[in-house]
Parts: sequence; structure tokens; C-alpha cells
Amino acid sequence: MPKPDAAALQEAQGELRAAGRALASRPRSERVAALGRVLERFRDAGSAERRELEARLPAATGFAPATLRKGLDLALAGWSARALFALVEDELERGAKGRLACGFPLTSVLLGGAVPTPSLAALLAPLVLGSPVLARVSSHDPVTAEVFGRALAAEDAGLAAALRVVSFPSGDEAALRAFLSADCVVAYGSDATMAAVTARTTPAQRLVRHGHRLSVAVLGTGALSGAALAGAAEALALDVALWDQLGCLSPVALYVLGVERVPESLLEALGAAFERAGERWPRGRLDAAAATAFAHERETAELRSASDARIALRAGAAFTLVAEADPVFRGSPLHRFLRVHPVPGADALVAALEPLGPHLAAVGSAGLGGLGERLAPALAGLGAARLCPLGALQAPALAWCHDQPGVLLPLARLTDVEEEAG
Amino acid sequence: MSTREAARAAIERELLAWMREEPSVHDEARFERLALALFAFQFEANLAYGRFCAARGKTPATLASWREIPSVPTGAFKELPLRCFPPERAVKVFRTSGTALTRRGELELDTLALYEASLVPSFEAGVLPDLAAGEKLPCLVLAPSPGEAPDSSLSHMFGVMLARRGAAASGYFVCDGRLDVGALLAALEAVRGAEKLLLCGTAFAFVHLLETLEARDLRLALPAGARIMETGGFKGRTRELSRERLHAWLHARLGVPPARSVNQYGMTELGSQFYDSVLREPAAPRRKLAPPWTRVRVIDPESGRALGPGAVGALHVVDLANTGSVLAVATADLGVVVDGGFEVLGREAGAEARGCSLAADEMLGAQA
Repeated sequence: MPKPDAAALQEAQGELRAAGRALASRPRSERVAALGRVLERFRDAGSAERRELEARLPAATGFAPATLRKGLDLALAGWSARALFALVEDELERGAKGRLACGFPLTSVLLGGAVPTPSLAALLAPLVLGSPVLARVSSHDPVTAEVFGRALAAEDAGLAAALRVVSFPSGDEAALRAFLSADCVVAYGSDATMAAVTARTTPAQRLVRHGHRLSVAVLGTGALSGAALAGAAEALALDVALWDQLGCLSPVALYVLGVERVPESLLEALGAAFERAGERWPRGRLDAAAATAFAHERETAELRSASDARIALRAGAAFTLVAEADPVFRGSPLHRFLRVHPVPGADALVAALEPLGPHLAAVGSAGLGGLGERLAPALAGLGAARLCPLGALQAPALAWCHDQPGVLLPLARLTDVEEEAG
Repeated sequence: MSTREAARAAIERELLAWMREEPSVHDEARFERLALALFAFQFEANLAYGRFCAARGKTPATLASWREIPSVPTGAFKELPLRCFPPERAVKVFRTSGTALTRRGELELDTLALYEASLVPSFEAGVLPDLAAGEKLPCLVLAPSPGEAPDSSLSHMFGVMLARRGAAASGYFVCDGRLDVGALLAALEAVRGAEKLLLCGTAFAFVHLLETLEARDLRLALPAGARIMETGGFKGRTRELSRERLHAWLHARLGVPPARSVNQYGMTELGSQFYDSVLREPAAPRRKLAPPWTRVRVIDPESGRALGPGAVGALHVVDLANTGSVLAVATADLGVVVDGGFEVLGREAGAEARGCSLAADEMLGAQA
């Protein structure tokens, strides 16, 4: 992988701008068709691209191979060429009569984290619009962008010429400033990363930020017994196991509606489901800091539980469930650590989630019945960017907007064209 | 006085004597005996801790060594009153910093005698080893005064040390949460002729000072006898930098070489503190030294086993100065055991997060 300095990045940007001019002159439908074929390669579990991701990502990202495979299967199942066409149709054509949407002369994409699927979407979107892409890989996933580039080259040389994947040290200030000088900057990362990127861009640039967020799960009384309970527990265990709870769509807390205390039967069912999930999709490696944070939270819960009968623990070798006494959010060290909160009713749920609002990515639910529809506006009002059934949290649609005005539109220059009178 | 209270009083008398010895030396047998006695007292007197230990099958009857004493995670100080006395007996409560979404950890004390007896010899050995007994020096503190921050254990420590070792020009330069750089520069000017000088405070306050000096293009040349004591990390701050970079920056802007910059490792939940060895043992590699009445171990967070020198794990501290709370504390900090001491490993500056979900500290810190 190229590791350019500031001067080399500027040179690459010049070449990309030239490639972008050639790209923009081609019909959008050609680009979309080629990118659709690239998506199909990643969607196909038997493709060379998928095999390479599954072979190389465990070492790079720390995810266990079976867990990674399941995550890719689930996340990419709906990311088809058809889904891409529909996205383009929805955002750029239908309802956009008289409005032109085109990509920026250059888009820089600062990738983040170890979860590979957001990187695919981040690389693809500017290219749909005809904008060349300079991408800096995350230190935790140097693989996905590289494989994407090769798939692109196999499908369309012109598109491939409009993508450059690089890596440079985060401490290389000159390189970072050069990288962030593009007309459009898309950044993934922590609040600290967002602050650093914002400080190095100007108001004249388009900046699209994807900061860290979190998700929660909600269980209604319809899922507290029988087959519904078993199904909900399995679904939640899958949502938590994939990406080892590190993704922004991974639930960090479960709220159980309509109960004063977390039912023992629920904790039992969750414990069994988490155990089974761990066997099928093992937890990946933890570094010392993550393992310390996990042990710290587990032992704190153990101590609280020794003094408060309402607090209970179910801990396996690679997961911890904590039944809390109240709805108050306490955070999670991730890596399959889930707190389960009782909430007496819908109003209490909304109140409990309110402090999370600005950071809320998704709410997964089961057993809500008619209450789900009534809760939706309140959860949306809090800031939840996605409401979905449990078990589907890790499979967002390609068209999921991430609380932005769209997937493609935030990366586009929009021009309203008014016809001359007469 | 109950038998239990009498047992604690006896332990404290012995500890106070140990802390006041000059020099106070490591004594494994004494430590073992006092640690087991203190554990037996806390097992009975601290209900939450006693239940926690009992649930793990650890009781005074089953323990053979201080190494088996269960550690309480620092996070638990935010959750439960971990004291060995009734609340009305508390004479001081130190609190950790907190945010809108987090509770603040609390260390309640029913006496300050042991707390202060512990902090003084460690501070003097780590920061003032070249001063004669009773010698005073100007101490300029980049932290709030004890009056402004009565629940800050750090401010309390500075208060004790200023009263003991501070010359007339000493003072505090953080007011209403802001570092008064102008007043600090004026104070430095006023003590220009001093041979010895102490600048101490939070690392973040030093960064603020350095940024201001940089913005004004100022470089100071503090006397050769100047020393810096800085403490605390950068969690939740907009800027993170390594200890080495901070010390190099202090050298560049204040003229105090890294060999005279001492980092203190301490926390609200502990009665004792740990200082870099650089001033005390200038010829030896930099490491943290533990007072004789403490033990610091590095624990594998997954197995719970103690790790040997060089292996990275969680720092666990047994601190006999914590008589009224819990003597064994599991910190969330990473460290390594090195020859004759330990090192605290900070989060690598600029390290990227592995996921895109908000971990507990990031989420809770974001609400500040």
C-alpha cells in the first residue's frame, strides 16, 4: 500500500482530478452499472473478493473468521446491483426533475475502524456521482479498500483510475492537511477524529462526518415468553456477536418494556443464546486495554450484584450480561457486554434514551406489537437514525441514510435548472 | 470502642509509625501481616466489600497471602459507599471528576491522619529529594486551591505540601477552572532569583500553559534547581500527547529538562501516590516507585493472574493507607512491572478506535 508524504499526495490528487474529468464525461448509467457489478462481486460469497476478505481480514481486524464470514453474509446480502440502481433512482432521478447532481472534482475519504462494510459504501458513493476518490485506510482494516480497488479495476479501468488508496501515519500533519484539502471530505471516526478533521477543513469544503454512534435494543412484552422469547434472544445474540459489538449498529443495552425487574427467564434465555452465538461466531481477540475495560466493568457489576439483589449477572467465557435495577444508561465496554434494563413503560423508555439521542444510530426491537408504531415517532425525535427488527441490526440497506439527507446527496453538488420563459 | 475498631486503630498506629520512619523501608513480613489484618477488618466492616469477597470464596479464614485479597475495581467507587464506618463519621469526601451521565467516584475518610502521613514522605522522596529537612521552596501550583476544590484529593495534597514546604511566594494559579497564565508568569518573574522551584499541577494545565507560551512565542529559562511535578491524563480532552512529548515540550518552553520532570500516578480512590524515580535515582531508568506500605501488581485481565516483568496488563494496587475503605483496588490502567518499580502505559496518542460504536468512556465523556 502506498504511504505517500504530502507532496506525493498532492501529485496523486492532480492525477485523480484528471481521471475525474474523464469519468464525469461518461454517462452516470455506465458508472452505476460497473459499480453494481463490483457490489455483486462482494455479495457473492464464492467470489475471489470475498475469499480474500475472509482470508485477510481476521488477522488485520481481530475478528474471528466465522464471525467475520457471518457479518459479511448478512450485511452484503442486500447490497446488490439492483439495490444500487434503486438508490440512484430514488436520490438522483425520481423527484429530482430539473435538478442536476454531480460529484465534486475530488473527494477524500478518511476510513475508520475495523468493520469492513461501511468502507465499501464510503468508497462507492462518490464514484457513483463521478467524483474521484482519495482514500486513507484505517489502521485496523488496510484490506477492504485495497480489494475494492482491484474489483473496480477488473470491471472498469476508468473508474479504477479514479480511486487511489493510501496510508500515512496519523502524526504526519503535512500529509493530513494535504489529504483533507479535497473539495469534499468524508470522515469516519471518533469525536476526536471529527474535531481534528473539522479543524483542518474550511467552510468552502463539503465535509460529511460519520462519528461514532451506538445502538440499543427494545423488547416488548410480546417477546418475554415461549417461542417469541427464544427467537428474540437468538436475534439479539446475533446482533451483539457480529463485529464483536464494535459497530455503531451493535446494541449496547437492552430495554425490557413493561417490567419493574428484569425477568429471570429472560436472562436465562439470553445467556443460553449468547453461549450458542459464541460457539458459532466466536469473539475475536481483545487487546490489553479492551480486556481490562471488560474485566473492570464485569467486576464492578459483580460487586454491585453482591449488594443489590435486583442486579444479576450471567457471564460466559466471552460475554457478560448484567440485569440492571433501573433504566439508567451505564455504557458498555463492548466486546459482547450487554446491560439489560427494566423500563415500566414507553414514556420511561424515551426518557431513558434521551441522553443518548445525539449518538443514537439504531433501535432494534421485538415483541412491541402495536406499541412499535406509536414509539417510532418518539424514537425518531430523539435522533435514532434507524428502527428495525432484532436480528436485522447488522444488515442495513444500502440506502440507509445514516441520519444524513441521503447516501449520495450529501456528496453531490446540486444545481436547480430553471427553464427560460417562453 | 468495639473490638473491630480497636483492631483498626492498632493497624493505623503501626502504619503511622512505619510512614514516619526515616527512611521508611520495604518490609515484606510487616506488609503481609498488616495487609491480612486490614483485610480481616474490612471484610467485616465494609458490607459491600465483604459480600463481594464472600461470593468469591475469599474470607479472612481462607486467605494465606495479601496476593489473594480481591481487588475492587475503581468503577465501584462510583456505585457503592465503600467505607468501613457510618456515614456521619466522614470528615472528608474526595470525588473523581464526572460528567452529566456519570456518577462521581467517592472516597470517604473518617480521618485524614493516615492519608496525609502517607502522601508526605512519597512526595518528598519523589519530588524534593535534594531538599534539607524543613527546607522550603516556592511552589507554584497549576491546580485549584483546596478552598476552591474541597473535594479534590489532588488539591488537598498540594495544600498539605504547600503548608509544609511552600515558601512565601507559593500559590495556586487555577481559578474558576481556568489557568491564570498572566499571574503565573508574574509569579515566575517574582521568584527569578530562587535556586530551587517547584511547578506542580495537572498535565492538562501544563499543556494549556505551554500552548499559551507557544502562542506568545515565549521561552522561559527556569533555574537549574527547578522541578516539575505533573499528574493526570488527557481522557475526554481535545488533545492527547505522550508523557515523553509533554516532558520534551516542558524542556523546550520552560527550560526544565525531562530528568527534572516527575510524573505522579495517583487516583482519588487511593490514599497513596507513586512518583517517577528520576529525581530520587537519577542514574537509574525512569519508573514509578511504590511506597513501602503499597504493592503494585500487573494482572492479566482475562485470567486474573499476576504477570511477570515486561508483560502488559491491568494495574492492581494494594494500599494499606486505605484503612477506612478498601485496601485492594483494580485500576483500569495498563502497566508493566519493571526492575524495582512499574510503568504506567498511556493510550497511544493518535491511536485509532477499532470500532465505530461508542465505548463507555467515550460515550460518557461526550456528555461533559
